[in-house]
Amino acid sequence: MMVHAVQLLTAFIGSLGFAILFHVPKKHLFSASLGGFFSWGIYLAGVDVGLGIFLSCLFASAFSALYAEILARVKRAPAVLFFIPAVIPLVPGSNLYYTMLGIGTEDWVSAKANAVLTLQYALSIALGISAMWAVLSIARSIREKRNAS
Amino acid sequence: MNDRKKLLHTLLDMAERMLLSGAEIYRVEDTIARMGTASGASDMNVFVIISSIVITMTFPDGETITETRRVTKAASNDFTVLEQLNHLSRQYCMEPFSWQELEQRLAETAETHEHPLSLYAGSALASGGFAVFFGGSVWDGLAAGVLGVLIGLVQKKVRGFFPNTVSFNLACAFAAGCLTGLLTMLFPVLHFGMIMIGDIMLLIPGVAITVSVRDMLVGDTISGSLRLIESILCAVSLAYGFILAIMATGAGA
Repeated sequence: MMVHAVQLLTAFIGSLGFAILFHVPKKHLFSASLGGFFSWGIYLAGVDVGLGIFLSCLFASAFSALYAEILARVKRAPAVLFFIPAVIPLVPGSNLYYTMLGIGTEDWVSAKANAVLTLQYALSIALGISAMWAVLSIARSIREKRNAS
Repeated sequence: MNDRKKLLHTLLDMAERMLLSGAEIYRVEDTIARMGTASGASDMNVFVIISSIVITMTFPDGETITETRRVTKAASNDFTVLEQLNHLSRQYCMEPFSWQELEQRLAETAETHEHPLSLYAGSALASGGFAVFFGGSVWDGLAAGVLGVLIGLVQKKVRGFFPNTVSFNLACAFAAGCLTGLLTMLFPVLHFGMIMIGDIMLLIPGVAITVSVRDMLVGDTISGSLRLIESILCAVSLAYGFILAIMATGAGA
């Protein structure tokens, strides 16, 4: 539990750091960084329920895309500004490091396992986003058709 | 006549600014097409990839003009500028003003740009936060934060001397790795790996990879693949830098 609390807090801080780096306007800083907090919360919840890292990460990244689209509507700002900070905690920095460490110290078993994990994260992030975009754009075209008729 | 060409040129400036401050490819194409239509073009043809922009405007009297722009700078993310450009384009589409005014207001958004403190504060929070996030202690977080500021400083001051991102990343990762190794030797409470992970999160093109995948999935396949290859090169050069540092300092084993 303690570990989760620390991770959620630092996910928020890390996302805030990137939001500042990418010059997210001050008035959107908090809500943009909160996206990182929520997306990591969803990942943790998924892992706790037993979904495994691939599906948990997929749901978390799908959530980031949805979160960005909703906030973009509400705050009338480009969606990308909320999307990037929200998805940042899902980037597999530690697995990438252990892959490099494995190569550097010739521990090929660890290097291989972590390289596979890194790819798995990257793939599930991509799938999550694209699934959410597809859903959103289908919903949009249905709505437009209904308005037109 | 001349006004139309000037307008086209200003629209190219606008497109370039949007692209360089982190707008999605399809967003740039869509916005410029809307602005062109709003200013009286009967047909707009906009083609954007990360290294080039082509705009063709056709007017109701049959005149067609084209201009091309080669984009040499690498796209970065500046969401303050992006939001202002977004706002500017909305206003323009509602009530088009002259190209002179558009040009002037574009120049104004450029001036709000630099904010040296945000680079250091952001780097420190990002690398420190993620060092703790991935299991480091508070001390690791602080050390990673300090290194993050140094990396930010190097990115700002030294980047210009390197011919390309690959060589810069290699050197930067190597230096950061060696410095981390030195720090952990001086202060044994620190964990080499955790600090490195914080630095990696800062340097790794995680955002660029995500963006490239997004570009490909929404249909901008050329830009997506260009960016993906760029970021993979970038990640590999980072990895080599860190691996060399691990070997040189013997840390992390």
